[in-house]
Amino acid sequence: MLSKLKTNAAVEISNRVHDLNCFKQFTCRSIMLAIILLGYCTSAAKAEEDETYSNSQEFQLHGFISQGLIDVDGSDFVNDDGDVSAELTEIGLNASYQLSDNFRLAGQVVYLDGGNRYSQGARIDYALVDWSAFTSENWQANVYLGRFKNNHWLYSSSRDIPFARPSIILPQSVYFDGFRDIAVGSDGIATKISYSTDDYGNFDWQFSYGKSPISDEQTKNILSEFAQGSAEQNYDAQTSLYWQPSFSPWRFGISLLDAGFGYDRGDAGSGDIFFDSEFNFQFYTMNALYEGENWEFSGEIYQQRFTIDGFYYPGFQLDNIGQGFYLQSRYKLTQKLTLLARYEDFYLNKDDKDGKKMEQATGGAVPYYFGFHKDITLGLNYDITSNFSARMEYHWVNGAGRLTPVVVPNTQINDSEDWQMWAIQLMYWF
Amino acid sequence: MSSRAVAIEIVTHPQVTEISLTKSQLRRIYTMRQLRWSDDSAINVFVLPNQHDLHQRFAKERLQIFPYQLNRIWHKLTYSGLGVAPTVVASEKELIQAVTKTPGAIGYIDDGTLKKIEQNERIKRIESPGMEASQQTRSKGVVNVVKIKN
Repeated sequence: MLSKLKTNAAVEISNRVHDLNCFKQFTCRSIMLAIILLGYCTSAAKAEEDETYSNSQEFQLHGFISQGLIDVDGSDFVNDDGDVSAELTEIGLNASYQLSDNFRLAGQVVYLDGGNRYSQGARIDYALVDWSAFTSENWQANVYLGRFKNNHWLYSSSRDIPFARPSIILPQSVYFDGFRDIAVGSDGIATKISYSTDDYGNFDWQFSYGKSPISDEQTKNILSEFAQGSAEQNYDAQTSLYWQPSFSPWRFGISLLDAGFGYDRGDAGSGDIFFDSEFNFQFYTMNALYEGENWEFSGEIYQQRFTIDGFYYPGFQLDNIGQGFYLQSRYKLTQKLTLLARYEDFYLNKDDKDGKKMEQATGGAVPYYFGFHKDITLGLNYDITSNFSARMEYHWVNGAGRLTPVVVPNTQINDSEDWQMWAIQLMYWF
Repeated sequence: MSSRAVAIEIVTHPQVTEISLTKSQLRRIYTMRQLRWSDDSAINVFVLPNQHDLHQRFAKERLQIFPYQLNRIWHKLTYSGLGVAPTVVASEKELIQAVTKTPGAIGYIDDGTLKKIEQNERIKRIESPGMEASQQTRSKGVVNVVKIKN
Protein backbone atom coordinates (compact mmCIF):
# COMPACT_ATOMS: atom_id res chain seq x y z
CA MET A 1 0.00 0.00 0.00
CA LEU A 2 2.75 2.36 1.08
CA SER A 3 4.77 1.53 -1.99
CA LYS A 4 1.71 2.14 -4.16
CA LEU A 5 1.23 5.53 -2.52
CA LYS A 6 4.87 6.30 -3.10
CA THR A 7 4.53 5.35 -6.74
CA ASN A 8 1.44 7.50 -7.11
CA ALA A 9 3.22 10.39 -5.48
CA ALA A 10 6.18 9.90 -7.79
CA VAL A 11 3.93 9.83 -10.84
CA GLU A 12 2.15 12.93 -9.55
CA ILE A 13 5.44 14.78 -9.06
CA SER A 14 6.80 13.70 -12.40
CA ASN A 15 3.55 14.84 -14.05
CA ARG A 16 3.84 18.21 -12.35
CA VAL A 17 7.47 18.50 -13.35
CA HIS A 18 6.42 17.57 -16.86
CA ASP A 19 3.64 20.21 -16.78
CA LEU A 20 6.09 22.77 -15.45
CA ASN A 21 8.57 21.91 -18.19
CA CYS A 22 5.82 22.16 -20.78
CA PHE A 23 4.82 25.53 -19.39
CA LYS A 24 8.42 26.73 -19.38
CA GLN A 25 8.92 25.49 -22.92
CA PHE A 26 5.67 27.08 -24.04
CA THR A 27 6.75 30.40 -22.52
CA CYS A 28 10.16 30.12 -24.16
CA ARG A 29 8.64 29.38 -27.59
CA SER A 30 6.20 32.26 -27.26
CA ILE A 31 9.01 34.65 -26.41
CA MET A 32 10.99 33.29 -29.35
CA LEU A 33 8.12 33.84 -31.74
CA ALA A 34 7.62 37.35 -30.37
CA ILE A 35 11.30 38.12 -30.99
CA ILE A 36 11.08 36.85 -34.57
CA LEU A 37 8.01 38.99 -35.22
CA LEU A 38 9.57 41.98 -33.47
CA GLY A 39 12.70 41.54 -35.56
CA TYR A 40 10.57 41.47 -38.67
CA CYS A 41 8.64 44.61 -37.68
CA THR A 42 11.74 46.60 -36.73
CA SER A 43 13.44 45.62 -39.98
CA ALA A 44 10.41 46.81 -41.89
CA ALA A 45 10.37 50.04 -39.88
CA LYS A 46 14.10 50.48 -40.39
CA ALA A 47 13.68 50.27 -44.14
CA GLU A 48 11.09 53.01 -44.00
CA GLU A 49 13.07 55.29 -41.74
CA ASP A 50 15.99 55.22 -44.12
CA GLU A 51 18.53 54.89 -41.31
CA THR A 52 22.22 55.00 -42.00
CA TYR A 53 23.91 51.62 -42.35
CA SER A 54 25.50 50.19 -39.23
CA ASN A 55 27.64 47.40 -40.68
CA SER A 56 30.87 48.16 -42.44
CA GLN A 57 33.23 45.63 -43.91
CA GLU A 58 35.66 46.11 -40.99
CA PHE A 59 33.15 45.03 -38.38
CA GLN A 60 30.04 43.03 -39.15
CA LEU A 61 27.44 41.61 -36.85
CA HIS A 62 24.89 39.13 -38.18
CA GLY A 63 22.48 36.63 -36.78
CA PHE A 64 19.36 34.59 -37.21
CA ILE A 65 16.49 33.27 -35.19
CA SER A 66 14.04 30.58 -36.19
CA GLN A 67 11.29 28.57 -34.59
CA GLY A 68 9.22 25.75 -35.97
CA LEU A 69 6.94 22.86 -35.27
CA ILE A 70 7.79 19.28 -36.19
CA ASP A 71 5.74 16.11 -35.98
CA VAL A 72 7.27 12.70 -36.48
CA ASP A 73 5.08 9.65 -36.77
CA GLY A 74 6.71 6.26 -36.36
CA SER A 75 10.26 6.95 -35.14
CA ASP A 76 12.26 8.63 -32.37
CA PHE A 77 13.89 11.08 -34.82
CA VAL A 78 12.75 14.10 -32.73
CA ASN A 79 11.06 12.72 -29.60
CA ASP A 80 10.11 9.42 -28.02
CA ASP A 81 6.38 10.06 -27.54
CA GLY A 82 5.51 10.99 -31.14
CA ASP A 83 3.68 14.23 -30.22
CA VAL A 84 3.90 17.46 -32.22
CA SER A 85 7.02 19.18 -30.97
CA ALA A 86 8.33 22.75 -30.85
CA GLU A 87 11.86 21.37 -30.50
CA LEU A 88 12.88 23.10 -33.69
CA THR A 89 14.73 26.19 -32.52
CA GLU A 90 17.85 27.63 -34.11
CA ILE A 91 19.43 30.91 -33.02
CA GLY A 92 22.79 32.25 -34.08
CA LEU A 93 24.89 35.37 -33.67
CA ASN A 94 28.18 36.02 -35.43
CA ALA A 95 30.76 38.76 -35.69
CA SER A 96 33.62 39.45 -38.04
CA TYR A 97 36.34 41.96 -37.26
CA GLN A 98 39.14 42.97 -39.62
CA LEU A 99 42.23 43.25 -37.41
CA SER A 100 44.59 44.41 -40.12
CA ASP A 101 44.99 44.15 -43.88
CA ASN A 102 45.67 40.43 -43.69
CA PHE A 103 44.11 39.24 -40.44
CA ARG A 104 40.47 38.89 -39.50
CA LEU A 105 38.72 37.47 -36.45
CA ALA A 106 35.37 35.70 -36.82
CA GLY A 107 33.12 33.74 -34.53
CA GLN A 108 29.58 32.45 -34.24
CA VAL A 109 27.55 31.16 -31.33
CA VAL A 110 24.48 29.04 -32.00
CA TYR A 111 21.72 27.73 -29.78
CA LEU A 112 20.02 24.61 -31.09
CA ASP A 113 17.07 22.60 -29.88
CA GLY A 114 16.17 19.67 -32.08
CA GLY A 115 14.96 17.09 -29.55
CA ASN A 116 16.72 13.76 -30.10
CA ARG A 117 18.42 15.04 -33.25
CA TYR A 118 21.35 16.61 -31.38
CA SER A 119 22.10 17.81 -27.88
CA GLN A 120 20.15 20.87 -26.87
CA GLY A 121 22.03 24.05 -25.97
CA ALA A 122 24.44 26.74 -27.04
CA ARG A 123 27.76 26.00 -28.69
CA ILE A 124 30.56 27.85 -30.40
CA ASP A 125 29.96 27.13 -34.05
CA TYR A 126 33.22 28.65 -35.18
CA ALA A 127 35.88 30.92 -33.68
CA LEU A 128 38.84 31.54 -35.92
CA VAL A 129 41.64 33.74 -37.12
CA ASP A 130 41.52 34.18 -40.88
CA TRP A 131 44.89 34.95 -42.43
CA SER A 132 44.61 36.28 -45.96
CA ALA A 133 47.98 34.88 -47.04
CA PHE A 134 47.79 35.92 -50.67
CA THR A 135 45.35 37.89 -52.75
CA SER A 136 45.39 39.18 -56.32
CA GLU A 137 42.87 39.81 -59.06
CA ASN A 138 42.59 36.06 -59.77
CA TRP A 139 43.93 34.33 -56.68
CA GLN A 140 42.97 34.15 -53.03
CA ALA A 141 44.68 32.01 -50.42
CA ASN A 142 43.42 31.93 -46.83
CA VAL A 143 44.50 30.03 -43.75
CA TYR A 144 42.00 29.56 -40.93
CA LEU A 145 43.18 28.72 -37.41
CA GLY A 146 40.90 27.74 -34.54
CA ARG A 147 37.45 26.22 -34.77
CA PHE A 148 36.31 26.26 -38.40
CA LYS A 149 33.28 24.92 -40.19
CA ASN A 150 33.22 21.99 -42.56
CA ASN A 151 32.97 23.58 -46.01
CA HIS A 152 33.58 20.44 -47.99
CA TRP A 153 30.09 19.16 -48.82
CA LEU A 154 27.30 20.88 -50.69
CA TYR A 155 25.42 22.01 -47.56
CA SER A 156 27.88 21.23 -44.74
CA SER A 157 28.53 24.87 -43.88
CA SER A 158 24.89 25.94 -44.11
CA ARG A 159 23.31 22.97 -42.31
CA ASP A 160 22.64 25.06 -39.17
CA ILE A 161 21.62 28.20 -41.05
CA PRO A 162 17.87 27.73 -41.53
CA PHE A 163 17.42 30.09 -44.49
CA ALA A 164 20.66 29.08 -46.23
CA ARG A 165 19.99 25.35 -46.45
CA PRO A 166 17.44 23.92 -48.90
CA SER A 167 15.02 22.31 -46.42
CA ILE A 168 14.22 22.19 -42.70
CA ILE A 169 15.52 18.61 -42.44
CA LEU A 170 18.48 17.88 -44.73
CA PRO A 171 19.22 14.51 -46.40
CA GLN A 172 20.17 12.52 -43.33
CA SER A 173 22.50 10.11 -45.09
CA VAL A 174 25.00 12.97 -45.60
CA TYR A 175 23.89 15.56 -43.04
CA PHE A 176 23.05 13.09 -40.27
CA ASP A 177 21.98 15.11 -37.24
CA GLY A 178 23.32 12.39 -34.95
CA PHE A 179 26.82 13.19 -36.23
CA ARG A 180 26.17 16.95 -36.44
CA ASP A 181 28.50 18.16 -33.71
CA ILE A 182 31.39 16.06 -35.03
CA ALA A 183 30.78 16.70 -38.74
CA VAL A 184 29.94 20.41 -38.58
CA GLY A 185 33.54 21.51 -38.06
CA SER A 186 36.82 20.91 -36.26
CA ASP A 187 39.40 22.54 -34.04
CA GLY A 188 42.61 22.83 -36.04
CA ILE A 189 43.80 24.34 -39.29
CA ALA A 190 42.10 24.83 -42.65
CA THR A 191 43.12 26.40 -45.93
CA LYS A 192 41.19 27.65 -48.92
CA ILE A 193 42.73 28.50 -52.27
CA SER A 194 40.51 30.10 -54.90
CA TYR A 195 41.42 30.75 -58.50
CA SER A 196 39.12 32.59 -60.90
CA THR A 197 39.76 33.05 -64.60
CA ASP A 198 37.69 34.31 -67.50
CA ASP A 199 38.54 31.23 -69.55
CA TYR A 200 38.16 28.32 -67.15
CA GLY A 201 35.92 29.68 -64.41
CA ASN A 202 36.27 29.37 -60.65
CA PHE A 203 38.27 26.75 -58.75
CA ASP A 204 38.08 26.35 -54.98
CA TRP A 205 40.37 23.93 -53.21
CA GLN A 206 40.12 23.35 -49.47
CA PHE A 207 41.96 21.26 -46.95
CA SER A 208 41.32 20.91 -43.23
CA TYR A 209 42.87 18.99 -40.36
CA GLY A 210 41.65 18.92 -36.80
CA LYS A 211 39.40 17.21 -34.33
CA SER A 212 36.10 17.74 -32.54
CA PRO A 213 35.40 17.27 -28.85
CA ILE A 214 32.78 14.58 -28.15
CA SER A 215 30.55 15.02 -25.11
CA ASP A 216 29.23 12.11 -23.03
CA GLU A 217 25.73 12.82 -24.35
CA GLN A 218 26.98 12.52 -27.91
CA THR A 219 28.83 9.32 -27.04
CA LYS A 220 25.51 7.86 -25.87
CA ASN A 221 23.70 9.22 -28.95
CA ILE A 222 26.13 7.67 -31.35
CA LEU A 223 27.18 4.44 -29.66
CA SER A 224 24.57 3.32 -27.17
CA GLU A 225 22.60 4.72 -24.27
CA PHE A 226 24.44 2.14 -22.14
CA ALA A 227 27.93 3.33 -23.02
CA GLN A 228 29.56 4.52 -19.78
CA GLY A 229 33.01 5.30 -21.16
CA SER A 230 34.23 8.23 -23.20
CA ALA A 231 34.71 8.59 -26.93
CA GLU A 232 37.27 10.83 -28.54
CA GLN A 233 38.01 11.91 -32.07
CA ASN A 234 41.70 11.39 -32.78
CA TYR A 235 41.81 13.24 -36.10
CA ASP A 236 39.68 14.48 -38.98
CA ALA A 237 41.32 15.17 -42.35
CA GLN A 238 39.25 16.49 -45.23
CA THR A 239 39.81 17.95 -48.65
CA SER A 240 37.52 19.13 -51.44
CA LEU A 241 37.66 20.69 -54.89
CA TYR A 242 34.91 22.70 -56.58
CA TRP A 243 34.81 23.91 -60.15
CA GLN A 244 32.39 26.27 -61.79
CA PRO A 245 33.00 26.84 -65.51
CA SER A 246 33.09 30.50 -66.57
CA PHE A 247 29.61 32.11 -66.50
CA SER A 248 28.09 28.64 -66.24
CA PRO A 249 24.98 27.64 -64.25
CA TRP A 250 26.77 24.39 -63.30
CA ARG A 251 29.16 23.65 -60.48
CA PHE A 252 30.89 20.35 -59.70
CA GLY A 253 32.63 19.15 -56.57
CA ILE A 254 34.42 16.21 -54.96
CA SER A 255 35.38 15.66 -51.32
CA LEU A 256 37.34 13.14 -49.27
CA LEU A 257 37.24 12.56 -45.52
CA ASP A 258 39.22 10.32 -43.18
CA ALA A 259 38.54 10.32 -39.44
CA GLY A 260 39.64 8.18 -36.51
CA PHE A 261 37.87 7.72 -33.17
CA GLY A 262 38.65 5.89 -29.96
CA TYR A 263 36.47 4.62 -27.11
CA ASP A 264 37.76 4.13 -23.56
CA ARG A 265 35.42 1.96 -21.53
CA GLY A 266 34.14 3.24 -18.21
CA ASP A 267 35.83 2.41 -14.87
CA ALA A 268 35.37 -1.06 -13.43
CA GLY A 269 32.65 0.31 -11.11
CA SER A 270 30.61 1.92 -13.90
CA GLY A 271 29.27 -1.40 -15.14
CA ASP A 272 30.17 -0.57 -18.75
CA ILE A 273 29.29 -3.56 -20.92
CA PHE A 274 31.44 -2.31 -23.82
CA PHE A 275 35.20 -2.51 -24.40
CA ASP A 276 38.06 -0.25 -25.49
CA SER A 277 37.86 0.22 -29.24
CA GLU A 278 38.97 2.04 -32.37
CA PHE A 279 36.61 3.35 -35.05
CA ASN A 280 37.50 4.63 -38.48
CA PHE A 281 35.25 6.54 -40.86
CA GLN A 282 36.01 7.40 -44.47
CA PHE A 283 33.63 9.33 -46.70
CA TYR A 284 33.91 10.23 -50.38
CA THR A 285 31.43 12.44 -52.18
CA MET A 286 30.82 13.87 -55.64
CA ASN A 287 28.29 16.60 -56.21
CA ALA A 288 26.77 18.68 -58.97
CA LEU A 289 24.67 21.79 -58.84
CA TYR A 290 22.68 23.55 -61.56
CA GLU A 291 21.31 27.01 -60.84
CA GLY A 292 18.93 28.29 -63.51
CA GLU A 293 16.53 31.20 -63.41
CA ASN A 294 13.57 29.06 -62.30
CA TRP A 295 14.89 25.54 -62.03
CA GLU A 296 17.61 24.31 -59.76
CA PHE A 297 19.00 20.79 -59.57
CA SER A 298 21.51 19.38 -57.14
CA GLY A 299 22.72 16.01 -56.06
CA GLU A 300 25.41 14.26 -54.11
CA ILE A 301 26.58 10.68 -54.51
CA TYR A 302 28.75 9.13 -51.84
CA GLN A 303 30.44 6.09 -50.39
CA GLN A 304 31.45 5.59 -46.79
CA ARG A 305 33.57 2.99 -45.05
CA PHE A 306 33.05 2.40 -41.34
CA THR A 307 35.25 0.05 -39.35
CA ILE A 308 35.04 -1.05 -35.73
CA ASP A 309 37.83 -2.78 -33.86
CA GLY A 310 36.65 -3.94 -30.43
CA PHE A 311 33.68 -2.35 -28.62
CA TYR A 312 31.35 -5.39 -28.34
CA TYR A 313 34.25 -7.60 -27.22
CA PRO A 314 38.03 -7.33 -27.62
CA GLY A 315 38.97 -8.37 -31.15
CA PHE A 316 35.51 -7.76 -32.67
CA GLN A 317 35.87 -6.56 -36.28
CA LEU A 318 33.40 -4.81 -38.54
CA ASP A 319 34.09 -3.32 -41.97
CA ASN A 320 31.05 -1.90 -43.78
CA ILE A 321 30.92 0.02 -47.01
CA GLY A 322 27.77 2.11 -47.30
CA GLN A 323 26.55 3.98 -50.37
CA GLY A 324 23.94 6.53 -51.18
CA PHE A 325 22.79 9.51 -53.17
CA TYR A 326 20.16 12.20 -53.24
CA LEU A 327 18.71 14.23 -56.07
CA GLN A 328 17.04 17.51 -55.37
CA SER A 329 15.06 19.89 -57.50
CA ARG A 330 13.78 23.34 -56.69
CA TYR A 331 11.46 25.40 -58.80
CA LYS A 332 10.85 29.12 -58.36
CA LEU A 333 7.15 29.49 -58.94
CA THR A 334 7.31 33.22 -58.25
CA GLN A 335 10.07 35.48 -56.98
CA LYS A 336 8.94 34.63 -53.45
CA LEU A 337 7.67 31.07 -53.64
CA THR A 338 9.98 28.08 -54.20
CA LEU A 339 8.93 24.44 -54.41
CA LEU A 340 11.19 21.55 -53.42
CA ALA A 341 11.25 17.85 -54.30
CA ARG A 342 13.96 15.42 -53.25
CA TYR A 343 14.68 11.72 -53.30
CA GLU A 344 17.32 10.14 -51.09
CA ASP A 345 18.49 6.51 -51.03
CA PHE A 346 21.12 5.15 -48.66
CA TYR A 347 22.23 1.76 -47.33
CA LEU A 348 24.82 1.12 -44.64
CA ASN A 349 26.31 -1.98 -46.26
CA LYS A 350 26.54 -2.34 -50.02
CA ASP A 351 26.65 -6.13 -49.67
CA ASP A 352 23.48 -6.12 -47.57
CA LYS A 353 21.24 -3.48 -49.13
CA ASP A 354 18.03 -4.85 -47.62
CA GLY A 355 19.58 -5.39 -44.17
CA LYS A 356 18.58 -9.08 -44.04
CA LYS A 357 22.12 -10.31 -43.36
CA MET A 358 22.46 -7.86 -40.47
CA GLU A 359 19.18 -9.08 -38.97
CA GLN A 360 20.42 -12.69 -39.20
CA ALA A 361 23.86 -11.85 -37.81
CA THR A 362 22.33 -10.15 -34.76
CA GLY A 363 19.89 -13.02 -34.19
CA GLY A 364 16.97 -10.68 -34.91
CA ALA A 365 18.03 -8.11 -32.32
CA VAL A 366 18.48 -5.44 -35.02
CA PRO A 367 15.66 -5.61 -37.61
CA TYR A 368 16.56 -5.45 -41.33
CA TYR A 369 15.15 -1.94 -41.81
CA PHE A 370 18.00 -0.45 -39.73
CA GLY A 371 20.20 -1.22 -42.73
CA PHE A 372 18.87 1.56 -44.99
CA HIS A 373 17.29 5.02 -45.18
CA LYS A 374 15.17 6.34 -48.06
CA ASP A 375 13.37 9.65 -47.96
CA ILE A 376 10.97 11.35 -50.35
CA THR A 377 10.59 15.04 -49.47
CA LEU A 378 8.21 17.69 -50.78
CA GLY A 379 8.36 21.24 -49.48
CA LEU A 380 7.86 24.91 -50.10
CA ASN A 381 9.59 28.10 -49.07
CA TYR A 382 7.99 31.54 -49.03
CA ASP A 383 10.24 34.61 -48.80
CA ILE A 384 8.04 37.14 -47.03
CA THR A 385 10.74 39.85 -47.16
CA SER A 386 14.46 39.87 -47.94
CA ASN A 387 15.13 38.72 -44.35
CA PHE A 388 12.06 36.81 -43.29
CA SER A 389 10.91 33.44 -44.63
CA ALA A 390 8.49 30.65 -43.90
CA ARG A 391 9.01 27.05 -44.88
CA MET A 392 7.09 23.78 -44.68
CA GLU A 393 7.77 20.26 -45.80
CA TYR A 394 6.69 16.62 -45.62
CA HIS A 395 8.96 13.56 -45.51
CA TRP A 396 8.03 9.96 -46.30
CA VAL A 397 10.84 7.86 -44.86
CA ASN A 398 11.51 4.18 -45.40
CA GLY A 399 14.05 2.57 -43.07
CA ALA A 400 15.64 3.37 -39.71
CA GLY A 401 19.28 3.55 -40.81
CA ARG A 402 19.63 7.21 -39.81
CA LEU A 403 18.24 7.26 -36.28
CA THR A 404 20.10 7.55 -32.99
CA PRO A 405 21.68 5.72 -31.21
CA VAL A 406 23.61 4.45 -34.20
CA VAL A 407 25.76 1.55 -33.12
CA VAL A 408 23.25 -0.05 -30.74
CA PRO A 409 19.84 1.11 -32.08
CA ASN A 410 16.62 1.60 -30.14
CA THR A 411 14.41 -1.05 -31.71
CA GLN A 412 11.56 -0.61 -29.23
CA ILE A 413 10.44 2.85 -30.31
CA ASN A 414 11.58 2.42 -33.89
CA ASP A 415 9.41 -0.62 -34.51
CA SER A 416 8.20 0.30 -37.98
CA GLU A 417 9.97 0.30 -41.33
CA ASP A 418 8.06 3.34 -42.64
CA TRP A 419 7.74 6.65 -40.85
CA GLN A 420 6.71 10.18 -41.78
CA MET A 421 7.23 13.70 -40.60
CA TRP A 422 6.10 17.22 -41.36
CA ALA A 423 7.67 20.46 -40.23
CA ILE A 424 7.02 24.19 -40.50
CA GLN A 425 9.52 26.89 -39.66
CA LEU A 426 9.62 30.68 -39.49
CA MET A 427 13.02 32.31 -39.84
CA TYR A 428 14.41 35.80 -39.54
CA TRP A 429 18.00 36.88 -40.16
CA PHE A 430 20.06 40.04 -40.34
CA MET B 1 14.63 56.48 -74.81
CA SER B 2 13.07 53.96 -72.42
CA SER B 3 16.25 51.82 -72.38
CA ARG B 4 18.19 54.92 -71.30
CA ALA B 5 15.76 55.43 -68.45
CA VAL B 6 16.36 51.96 -66.94
CA ALA B 7 20.17 51.94 -67.27
CA ILE B 8 22.15 51.00 -64.15
CA GLU B 9 25.45 52.76 -63.49
CA ILE B 10 28.33 51.34 -61.47
CA VAL B 11 29.76 53.92 -59.07
CA THR B 12 32.84 53.99 -56.85
CA HIS B 13 34.31 56.22 -54.17
CA PRO B 14 35.99 59.26 -55.81
CA GLN B 15 39.46 58.08 -54.77
CA VAL B 16 39.16 54.71 -56.54
CA THR B 17 41.50 54.94 -59.53
CA GLU B 18 39.81 52.36 -61.81
CA ILE B 19 37.90 54.09 -64.59
CA SER B 20 36.66 50.88 -66.18
CA LEU B 21 36.10 47.23 -65.22
CA THR B 22 35.40 44.16 -67.31
CA LYS B 23 32.16 42.29 -66.78
CA SER B 24 34.11 39.40 -65.19
CA GLN B 25 35.95 41.77 -62.86
CA LEU B 26 32.66 43.25 -61.72
CA ARG B 27 31.33 39.75 -61.16
CA ARG B 28 34.45 38.74 -59.24
CA ILE B 29 34.09 41.81 -57.04
CA TYR B 30 30.43 41.12 -56.26
CA THR B 31 30.97 37.39 -55.65
CA MET B 32 33.83 38.38 -53.29
CA ARG B 33 36.50 36.68 -55.38
CA GLN B 34 38.43 39.90 -55.94
CA LEU B 35 38.90 41.85 -52.71
CA ARG B 36 41.39 44.56 -53.71
CA TRP B 37 41.64 47.33 -56.28
CA SER B 38 44.69 47.47 -58.57
CA ASP B 39 46.45 49.81 -56.07
CA ASP B 40 46.03 47.06 -53.39
CA SER B 41 43.47 49.03 -51.37
CA ALA B 42 40.49 47.07 -50.01
CA ILE B 43 37.24 47.02 -51.98
CA ASN B 44 34.12 47.88 -49.96
CA VAL B 45 31.07 46.41 -51.66
CA PHE B 46 27.58 47.86 -51.11
CA VAL B 47 24.25 46.41 -52.22
CA LEU B 48 20.52 46.98 -51.83
CA PRO B 49 18.28 44.36 -50.16
CA ASN B 50 17.68 41.18 -52.16
CA GLN B 51 14.08 41.97 -53.05
CA HIS B 52 14.81 45.56 -54.17
CA ASP B 53 13.97 45.96 -57.87
CA LEU B 54 17.23 47.70 -58.70
CA HIS B 55 19.22 44.90 -57.01
CA GLN B 56 17.34 42.24 -58.94
CA ARG B 57 18.05 44.05 -62.20
CA PHE B 58 21.67 44.77 -61.33
CA ALA B 59 22.34 41.08 -60.64
CA LYS B 60 20.71 39.84 -63.81
CA GLU B 61 21.73 42.60 -66.23
CA ARG B 62 25.15 43.64 -64.97
CA LEU B 63 26.50 40.49 -63.30
CA GLN B 64 24.53 37.91 -65.32
CA ILE B 65 23.87 36.00 -62.14
CA PHE B 66 20.53 35.37 -60.43
CA PRO B 67 19.97 37.29 -57.19
CA TYR B 68 19.40 34.06 -55.24
CA GLN B 69 22.84 32.82 -56.32
CA LEU B 70 24.48 35.97 -54.99
CA ASN B 71 22.58 35.53 -51.72
CA ARG B 72 23.87 32.00 -51.34
CA ILE B 73 27.48 33.01 -51.91
CA TRP B 74 27.17 35.86 -49.40
CA HIS B 75 25.29 33.78 -46.80
CA LYS B 76 27.95 31.12 -46.99
CA LEU B 77 30.69 33.69 -46.33
CA THR B 78 28.78 35.44 -43.54
CA TYR B 79 27.44 32.50 -41.59
CA SER B 80 30.34 30.03 -41.94
CA GLY B 81 33.14 32.45 -41.05
CA LEU B 82 34.87 32.04 -44.42
CA GLY B 83 34.79 35.71 -45.32
CA VAL B 84 32.89 38.96 -45.44
CA ALA B 85 29.84 39.67 -47.58
CA PRO B 86 28.80 43.04 -49.05
CA THR B 87 27.15 45.58 -46.78
CA VAL B 88 23.41 45.78 -47.35
CA VAL B 89 21.85 49.26 -47.21
CA ALA B 90 18.13 49.94 -47.25
CA SER B 91 17.70 52.46 -50.07
CA GLU B 92 19.35 53.99 -53.12
CA LYS B 93 19.90 57.22 -51.20
CA GLU B 94 21.77 55.36 -48.45
CA LEU B 95 23.76 53.43 -50.99
CA ILE B 96 25.04 56.55 -52.68
CA GLN B 97 25.84 58.09 -49.29
CA ALA B 98 27.79 54.96 -48.33
CA VAL B 99 29.75 54.94 -51.58
CA THR B 100 30.54 58.66 -51.18
CA LYS B 101 31.77 58.28 -47.61
CA THR B 102 33.59 54.91 -47.68
CA PRO B 103 37.08 54.69 -49.21
CA GLY B 104 37.34 51.84 -51.72
CA ALA B 105 33.55 51.63 -52.04
CA ILE B 106 31.65 50.27 -55.04
CA GLY B 107 27.90 50.33 -55.60
CA TYR B 108 25.27 50.72 -58.26
CA ILE B 109 22.65 53.32 -58.96
CA ASP B 110 19.78 53.99 -61.30
CA ASP B 111 20.79 56.29 -64.12
CA GLY B 112 17.95 58.69 -63.34
CA THR B 113 18.86 58.96 -59.65
CA LEU B 114 22.49 59.63 -60.57
CA LYS B 115 21.45 62.48 -62.87
CA LYS B 116 19.36 64.03 -60.10
CA ILE B 117 22.27 63.87 -57.67
CA GLU B 118 24.66 65.42 -60.18
CA GLN B 119 22.15 68.21 -60.80
CA ASN B 120 21.76 68.88 -57.06
CA GLU B 121 25.51 68.92 -56.70
CA ARG B 122 25.84 71.50 -59.46
CA ILE B 123 23.20 73.69 -57.78
CA LYS B 124 25.03 73.39 -54.45
CA ARG B 125 28.30 74.39 -56.04
CA ILE B 126 26.72 77.41 -57.69
CA GLU B 127 25.12 78.40 -54.38
CA SER B 128 28.37 78.06 -52.40
CA PRO B 129 31.41 78.57 -54.62
CA GLY B 130 33.78 78.08 -51.64
CA MET B 131 32.63 74.46 -51.42
CA GLU B 132 33.38 73.96 -55.06
CA ALA B 133 37.09 74.62 -54.67
CA SER B 134 37.51 72.17 -51.81
CA GLN B 135 35.43 69.56 -53.66
CA GLN B 136 37.57 69.98 -56.76
CA THR B 137 40.85 69.50 -54.96
CA ARG B 138 39.62 66.49 -53.00
CA SER B 139 38.07 64.55 -55.83
CA LYS B 140 36.52 64.61 -59.25
CA GLY B 141 32.96 64.56 -57.91
CA VAL B 142 30.57 62.89 -55.47
CA VAL B 143 31.21 59.47 -56.97
CA ASN B 144 33.05 57.99 -59.93
CA VAL B 145 31.02 56.34 -62.65
CA VAL B 146 32.86 53.24 -63.85
CA LYS B 147 32.55 51.95 -67.42
CA ILE B 148 31.83 48.25 -67.77
CA LYS B 149 33.47 46.58 -70.75
CA ASN B 150 32.57 43.21 -72.16
